[in-house]
Amino acid sequence: MADFYHKRRRSNAVWTVLSYAATAFGLGWLVLILGALLWNGVGGLSLDIFTKMTPAPGVQGGLLNSIIGSLIMTGIGVLIGAPLGVLAGTYLAEYGHSSRVAWVIRFINDILLSAPSIVVGLFIYQLFVVPFGHFSALAGGLALAVIATPVVVRTTEDMLNLVPNTLREAASALGMPRSVVIQRIAYRSVRAGLVTGVLLAVARITGETAPLVFTALGNSLFEWDPRQPMSSLPLIIYDFARSPYPEQQKLAWTGALLVTFAVLGMSIAARVLTSRVSTK
Amino acid sequence: MSDASIAARFDPLVQGAAGEKIVVRGLNFFYGASRAIKNVNVSLRERKVTAFIGPSGCGKSTLLRVLNRMYDLYPNQRAEGEVLLDGQNILAPGLDLNLLRARVGMVFQKPTPFPMSIYDNIAFGIKLYEKLPKSEMDSRVETALRRSALWEEVKDKLGASGLSLSGGQQQRLCIARTVAIRPEVILLDEPCSALDPISTAKIEELIDELTEDYTIAIVTHSMQQAARVSAFTAFMYLGELIEFDETSKVFTAPREKRTQDYVTGRFG
Repeated sequence: MADFYHKRRRSNAVWTVLSYAATAFGLGWLVLILGALLWNGVGGLSLDIFTKMTPAPGVQGGLLNSIIGSLIMTGIGVLIGAPLGVLAGTYLAEYGHSSRVAWVIRFINDILLSAPSIVVGLFIYQLFVVPFGHFSALAGGLALAVIATPVVVRTTEDMLNLVPNTLREAASALGMPRSVVIQRIAYRSVRAGLVTGVLLAVARITGETAPLVFTALGNSLFEWDPRQPMSSLPLIIYDFARSPYPEQQKLAWTGALLVTFAVLGMSIAARVLTSRVSTK
Repeated sequence: MSDASIAARFDPLVQGAAGEKIVVRGLNFFYGASRAIKNVNVSLRERKVTAFIGPSGCGKSTLLRVLNRMYDLYPNQRAEGEVLLDGQNILAPGLDLNLLRARVGMVFQKPTPFPMSIYDNIAFGIKLYEKLPKSEMDSRVETALRRSALWEEVKDKLGASGLSLSGGQQQRLCIARTVAIRPEVILLDEPCSALDPISTAKIEELIDELTEDYTIAIVTHSMQQAARVSAFTAFMYLGELIEFDETSKVFTAPREKRTQDYVTGRFG
């Protein structure tokens, strides 16, 4: 009896230690990554980063064209992906339910969620770069939209499924048409969750490099026009990290720092918002 | 027992006598293949409370959900028979469900305030059907809250979230919301089952006052509640309507043994 009890206590202690160790191991790498980024990147942070263009080898410069490019292409990706994702997610949760069509859509969406992003890049390359004969930010944005959409579809459906049916019934019982129930009651009760989905999608595409290699290509000059090739932070990190010139390497570190903390910030915001979703 | 004999027995109550707001004839209800209501004939008297009692799963809530076609939200649920609201069959195809539900309101077991302010919880439903100037809307909201005995408690915080109220207050808010759009019939599906005795007493008082203007059907698990608030009582068992009569008769001199067993607490 006592023996058995002691044995159980020992095994409890062992497993607790193992769990903590696994957590520390996982978190340790994150801390190391963030630490390395801060160590190598913070030194390069200056006003120049936000005011000067990416430089030629051996010249001082900044990341302005890449930062703007990232914002524009992420913007295009979200503007296309978010409405599409919210509408599709709404269909799945509110109309499709367990129908065959919904099942197929869900299946395809799951495949898209985990599709290698380089494949998405090649797909858009064939569709929007080859026919027009040149790379463009628009093609880059479209590739990002393809990656953002399934994320939003999934979170939207998950969030709407949190809305209790009793609330939908109560709204319908007042004679509210279905569309009003969805827009004014269901969306409203999980608003924070829907925003979270979009934020997660933004966080996801902000750091994407592969889909842009074949679409936006990159550009060492400043460019507003989405029909032209455009730079972006992940692309410039990819370029400059392989560069033999120390100035460019330093810029790559700083760019990585910017991207990582932007993504981190959005993920934290998403977490905070999710915890506020009330489904009472 | 055949349909005809049931109909005959309830003849004076069922056969469209004067003052009958809703008449249910030969109603069968199916969840997929399983039949939850079997050949039920019953009626709701105008401006009276009719209580539906019976053990869990007897079909009383299902019956209520037929009266405003709430079941229509779900595939695989289907009703057969006739439900006449002022003589019009609401089970007929092509009926505008939203208009029906505006005429036949419903309050649920669990309070379900919308995620918005107390004021908007009530104004929202009104806005679906009427475009009112602000002052008139204010007075409609106030009237609804007064009728639901909630005004004194919330008049200083109409902008607060409906979710911030207590359970009993939330339920009265839901009643106010239903009353505000001026339905003709109000269906109450175990409205007090989640409430404490004080809140329950308030709601029962409220039901009493509402009968001045509304035809009310209430599903309840509390026999005392049925006896206190209703004029007519229907006892259901395993999807069948066993007995339907004036409440005083059902509780003091039921015709059926099963009714007597149930109301005296011997089973169910």
